[in-house]
Amino acid sequence: MKKIINEPSAFVDEFVEGILLAHPGLLKTPGSDRRVLVRADAPIAGKVGIITGGGSGHLPLFKGYVGRGLCDGVAIGNVFSSPSSAQVLEATKAVSGGAGVLYLYGNYGGDVFNFDLATDMAELEGIATLTAVGRDDVASQPKERAADRRGVAGIMFAFKAAGAAAERGDSLEQVAAVAEDIIDNTATMGIGLSPTILPTTGKASFDLDDGEMEVGIGIHGEPGFHRGAVETADRIAETLMERLVADLGLTSGARVAVLVNGMGATPLEELYLLFRRVHQLLTEQGISIDKNYIGEYATSLEMSGASISLLALNDERLALLNAPAESPFFKEA
Amino acid sequence: MNGNDLSTAIRNCLGEFTSYSDELGELDRALGDGDLGITVSLGAAAVEEALAVLPADSTPAEVVLACAKAFANANPSTMAALVAGALLAGSKVWGPSTSLAEGQIGAFAVAAAESISQRGKSKIGDKTILDAMFPAADALVNAPAGGSALDAAINAAEAGVIASKELQSRRGRASWLQERSIGLQDPGATAFLRFLQSWKATNTKAALITAGENIK
Repeated sequence: MKKIINEPSAFVDEFVEGILLAHPGLLKTPGSDRRVLVRADAPIAGKVGIITGGGSGHLPLFKGYVGRGLCDGVAIGNVFSSPSSAQVLEATKAVSGGAGVLYLYGNYGGDVFNFDLATDMAELEGIATLTAVGRDDVASQPKERAADRRGVAGIMFAFKAAGAAAERGDSLEQVAAVAEDIIDNTATMGIGLSPTILPTTGKASFDLDDGEMEVGIGIHGEPGFHRGAVETADRIAETLMERLVADLGLTSGARVAVLVNGMGATPLEELYLLFRRVHQLLTEQGISIDKNYIGEYATSLEMSGASISLLALNDERLALLNAPAESPFFKEA
Repeated sequence: MNGNDLSTAIRNCLGEFTSYSDELGELDRALGDGDLGITVSLGAAAVEEALAVLPADSTPAEVVLACAKAFANANPSTMAALVAGALLAGSKVWGPSTSLAEGQIGAFAVAAAESISQRGKSKIGDKTILDAMFPAADALVNAPAGGSALDAAINAAEAGVIASKELQSRRGRASWLQERSIGLQDPGATAFLRFLQSWKATNTKAALITAGENIK
């Protein structure tokens, strides 16, 4: 397997160094640990801070969402591994402006345990925290066990909306409520065509034969619910949309935001093929697309594949999505 | 027992406790991902280092807090995070008191077990550390005055480890083994039992007389 890489064990610290060198005016490290990054203007007095984090290997998740109108800080671990509670705490202290801090991250065991422990540590430092956990992957659990679903690309909507709420001066409880509201109304499903190669081992994270695709795949290559022959772009969009529209209970007259996300090695052209069919399907059902995002928002190194996320919209949610935001990766004018 | 006594007792205990690392690692290889031995050995070393530099006038809660932070960061595994959270929950029960009365150990153990139960979304019978912890905490709380609360706790924890061997793992990686987990001994529950046994071996009067140098 070919990669553009130096020492595999230095992979994470070196790409973070590259990010910092590229965006000195936007991001900074509060201490010596490069895996903890915060907005260059942190802490902002009186503003609720938002901290996210998780494993490396998902750029622009998580580091790409730190900036004005988004998250205030991030802690990342090794590739596909949780950050430590100490790293989360370091980020927390660096962004605390006295109004409390929201932890907003994806639902994975290691992340949950470490962020939970960081809430204890933050309390000892006199920093109030609340937690909202992304759980948008409809393929990972049935609707009745939605609380146990994995968090994937759809968490972007929560970053955007909660970030906007914090920026306009909402309280910690209000920002957390915004994040929960978005999470409850977001559904994502993905397909994978080829696996990720882990930098440390050089091995594929899962096996998928030529001509096969995995429906319902997770962003670490977790198996989905169906493996079969690769289908056309239109057919893939139909399969995913059927599940997503049903999961959110969308009917004629509904408004949505759509995110078509590439997993890391899929061309933009293919994402636009998917969006084209998504647009046709929603239009046929009388559902309007008030906002769309097409590109790489949550990847899995060089996995090829894509996911589609839908967020059911109302005026309030749309206003939060439309609020200004800026990070090295994300811009909303 | 003041903070300094507690710090000494913990360090005495950990020296013995790390001798079980290999056993715990083996149990964890059969049921989990095999890193429990590392979690214990690295965690214990980090705790000893942290306690060595803690001021002698620290309160018992401050001592435990230092342990929690060191243990959590030494090898940030799920187990380490759960144990650290449990230690913090227990230390909250003690508040700022400078010395521990008899009943406060039991209250600590109950709060610690409840923390793991809540954070780990697990209960007795799920074949986890809690199968040893909850019975031991009960035994500590209900120990007759003057009786050996520690012996009662060890017996209760041991009974829990033995009983849970026949259960199916319901939480964590071990649960993926489904019925193949039946008959295997739970590494977390065993670790808790070994910790209590290490405490007894190094911190009861008989053990301290032979240890001599360690107590001041």
